[in-house]
Amino acid sequence: MNKTHKILALLALAAGATAATPTLAGGHAYGPFPASYIEECASCHVAYPPQLLTAPGWAQVMLQLDQHYGVDAGLDAKRRTAIADFLQRNASRRDKHAATAQPPRLAQTPWFRKEHGPLPQQAGKTLPAAAQCESCHRAAEHGDYTESGLRLPAGYRHMEH
Amino acid sequence: MKLTAHALLAALATTALLAGGSAQALTAADYQSVLIAAAKAAEPGFAGFSAERGAAFYRSTHGGDWSCASCHTEQPTQPGSHAVTHKQVKPLAPAANPERFTRADKIEKWFKRNCNDVLKRACTPREQGDFIAYLLSVK
Repeated sequence: MNKTHKILALLALAAGATAATPTLAGGHAYGPFPASYIEECASCHVAYPPQLLTAPGWAQVMLQLDQHYGVDAGLDAKRRTAIADFLQRNASRRDKHAATAQPPRLAQTPWFRKEHGPLPQQAGKTLPAAAQCESCHRAAEHGDYTESGLRLPAGYRHMEH
Repeated sequence: MKLTAHALLAALATTALLAGGSAQALTAADYQSVLIAAAKAAEPGFAGFSAERGAAFYRSTHGGDWSCASCHTEQPTQPGSHAVTHKQVKPLAPAANPERFTRADKIEKWFKRNCNDVLKRACTPREQGDFIAYLLSVK
């Protein structure tokens, strides 16, 4: 294979990858997500990727759904079990995704802190809460958290590394 | 009480399915007819639902921080915004969002959650019926 062929092959691969992105199973980069997860959890907030919190964190979240960060997110037993199982199967196994606060939050893990610096802590009445990923990550609904989709609202500055 | 409501709803849903063959088996009015039976059983003097009472209920904070309008806005034909996460909430009035009040499991789930959040208790059948009467009156 000469150089031109190699480049063409790479371009074809890249094109294929680009074309495949929107058709990922379940339409989500971290998916597929069960329909129950979308219906029950994503009606109030973005369907958070289960991969961003450890299994003990998710277990704790699912045990106190009636008091879920200030609201009642109670579920019937069947759905609760199905969603809890899904979260356990897909939870992170890395310490950096273990919550450092009670109750556990995705926005309070060593990984989240490293990625976001102080930004979400500035959240207040006029600035979006850390729970509202899509206010900066415009394509968060589809699991796209890349910088190309990032748009910071007024009052935020991009974190400098 | 709850079992009776379930049985009535199941019968209603089956009838609607057989009659129309539609996947959307319920309407808000269907659900209200179930609530009438429950309200009569709970309150001997029950004299029907009131959209006016429902409107007042919708806007009251019931001694807490939130009212129904906190998330669903003063005008329930408009999209709302979740009080904590600010995620958009689709309009609550059936006139603006025909999917509302078409699934018994969803209706019961959200009454349970939201009544706990706003009133710190379950809503009575009359409160639920008044609430739906108000939402049906909004065009």
